[in-house]
Amino acid sequence: MSVDLEKILRPIDTPMAAFEAKFMTLANGAPMVIRQIERDEIPDVLAHLEPLLHVERDMYDVVCARIYSELLAHYRHRAQDEYVLVAQIDGELAAVVNGRQITPARGMSLHTIALRRGLRVGAHAFAAKMEYHIDVLGHDEVLIVAEGPIGFRRWMIEYQLEKRFDTPHELGGVPSWALTKELFDRARSDLVVGRRPVPAHLLGKAQEKILPPSDPPKPAADLLAATRSMYDSTGSVLMSQRWRQEPGVERA
Amino acid sequence: MRDVYVAGIGITSFTRLEYPLSEIAAYPSMLAMRDAGLNEIDHLYLANMGSARVNHQTGLGSAVVDSLSLTPAGAAVVENGPASGASAIKAGFAAVASGMHNVVLVAGAERMREVDNLEATDFIATLTHPLVEYIYGVTLPAHAAMFTRLYMEKYGVTERHLAMVAVKNHANAMLNEYAHLHQPITIEGILDSPEAMTNNPYVAEPLRFFDVCPVSDGGAAIILVTEEVAKSLGQPLIKLAGIGQATDTHAVHEREEPTDLLAVRKAAAMSFEMAGLTPVDVNVAELHDAFTILEIVESEEVGFFPKGEGHLALEKGETEIAGRIPINPSGGLKGKGHPVGATGVGQAHEIVTQLRGVAGERQVEGARIGFTCNFGGFGNNVVCLTFVRED
Amino acid sequence: MAREIYAYECRNCGQAHYPFRMRCKNCGQNGFFEFDAVPLPRNGRLLTFTKVHNLAGDFDVATLTLGIVELENGLRCTGQLQMDQPHIGMSVVGSVEIVRRSTYDEFYGMVFRAA
Repeated sequence: MSVDLEKILRPIDTPMAAFEAKFMTLANGAPMVIRQIERDEIPDVLAHLEPLLHVERDMYDVVCARIYSELLAHYRHRAQDEYVLVAQIDGELAAVVNGRQITPARGMSLHTIALRRGLRVGAHAFAAKMEYHIDVLGHDEVLIVAEGPIGFRRWMIEYQLEKRFDTPHELGGVPSWALTKELFDRARSDLVVGRRPVPAHLLGKAQEKILPPSDPPKPAADLLAATRSMYDSTGSVLMSQRWRQEPGVERA
Repeated sequence: MRDVYVAGIGITSFTRLEYPLSEIAAYPSMLAMRDAGLNEIDHLYLANMGSARVNHQTGLGSAVVDSLSLTPAGAAVVENGPASGASAIKAGFAAVASGMHNVVLVAGAERMREVDNLEATDFIATLTHPLVEYIYGVTLPAHAAMFTRLYMEKYGVTERHLAMVAVKNHANAMLNEYAHLHQPITIEGILDSPEAMTNNPYVAEPLRFFDVCPVSDGGAAIILVTEEVAKSLGQPLIKLAGIGQATDTHAVHEREEPTDLLAVRKAAAMSFEMAGLTPVDVNVAELHDAFTILEIVESEEVGFFPKGEGHLALEKGETEIAGRIPINPSGGLKGKGHPVGATGVGQAHEIVTQLRGVAGERQVEGARIGFTCNFGGFGNNVVCLTFVRED
Repeated sequence: MAREIYAYECRNCGQAHYPFRMRCKNCGQNGFFEFDAVPLPRNGRLLTFTKVHNLAGDFDVATLTLGIVELENGLRCTGQLQMDQPHIGMSVVGSVEIVRRSTYDEFYGMVFRAA
């Protein structure tokens, strides 16, 4: 019985072309590999994402909660035609991007989350995602929304996306924007960066294991930190504990 | 005028801080008082630019004096854009030198990250002339970019030279536990590699992402006292020997010579004259590199290198920590961060640390004379300080 | 009604100012607004320029090209540029148009195009 039920509950994925791994040099001179992963590697990614559920700033908590659920759904065969790309620096997880194919002509970009700040990792990963939709899967357009102002400025304004406000996006049903093939071709020289094929030693290291990020965004010392300074003057004891972590304390 | 000495210093990390602005000012002030061994002050000058607009707080000086339980000491906020820090130090100096006060606490603090980047950009853009610049969408990076283009055309400075400043200051910041950015970068990564345009996109052409300092929160403090008080405290004897300040036209298009930073030139000259020194005497300097081009140009205008040759000295490594005239050993604004009000005080903090010989891995050997340049607006109000170790 | 942008000439010594000043920067005259409003000339030479990518919130374009122009009477003016390939020294001609909108206000300023 349970086997028949699973046949009904499990969506049948449309065959989708694979993303060929690529690599690029980051601002600090280190190489980063962006590759597609299958279901078997998702549990590792989920483990590394989990701590970010508690980082309130820059909408990390919302994005993490949503991408976590999307990846989990994909892993458990409860999402259709979803793909996942990961960016790795020396094997360490630096970013995760995901999306879905809605029709053979239309894609839906879901999320981009960067676990390494200051090196434009998110920008590289997002561009790889757009390349996947338009160049590899052959979509005519990709629907996109942004949860935070950083994303909005980078994507909606910088790439001059077209409004598709009549089309609700899967993420909370909000109005979407679209990156069309035409816009993509215009921005191609800026968007399609990175080189192929990935040198064997780099690819090998990346494929060996998705390692935990060494310097991920961390939650504030306590959950109220982001709001306290403006509205709530209690909890100062917790704040003073955090001040103790300042470098000057020993020598003071 | 009486001589004025530095009794104590304190600083926070320059990073993203989740504390109220008054605490960001009070904490380093408390550190400075502990450093000095003082429990009372006569007056506080607090450098800050954004408390009213960004943090919804006014009368910040009074708030901080109370937060430190230092009432009934006098207090006032000093606002001079990005030069607020050094301006507050100048005010503190005048209070002690005139004989009005004996112990003056000067602190600088800023909490920019209470708002998002778009708001922060617009807030800084309010420094521009409201009628003939702001309306066009001119921002400080836009000014720096137009200036850079002229400098490239006239003196042959290239994007590579700008990148070299960024790489140097990021490397120096790695040695500074208080710095905002602990991220080494390479010329290959930000300029040469095929992916450099994504790693280092244009902000305002020809300035790129790594040519512009980060938006930071942070605070710093310094205590200025009379010679008598300084000697009684047993700290290294560091004199604030020279202060210079000069203004220039508000609208950048009205500058006499578009490639000159006259206010820097005049303020530096004034500071050296007051201290009885020349640029050659300086062992270490903190120059205001909100944009990498500014470090190069300021190094010329203050007198370290001939006009138009700052980038050549940079190429030769003369401004490295081990070089002939180390510039921005702390990482400068580019690596250490730029909490606007705190920066000038932070520069003074670094110089005093260097002159005391306690700068750890970034120590400049045998530093006895230090210099700072705090650049307000886009060069329309500049304050330069000269510090001398006397014992 | 065509709009103008005005420079201010001191009635005492003729020094032109753009922007306005309370006291003449040449002779120091400080009479009450003893200046004549004189429209800025439209023709000039581009001194420097930049293409700005990081704009303030009330601009809904991706980039903005700004420049400083030296007008034919020697005064300099900041403005927005509408041209594909600006280069230093090129001849430009300005016109007064809306350059920025914020909620309910419209701001007029100089927009320069290739001459």
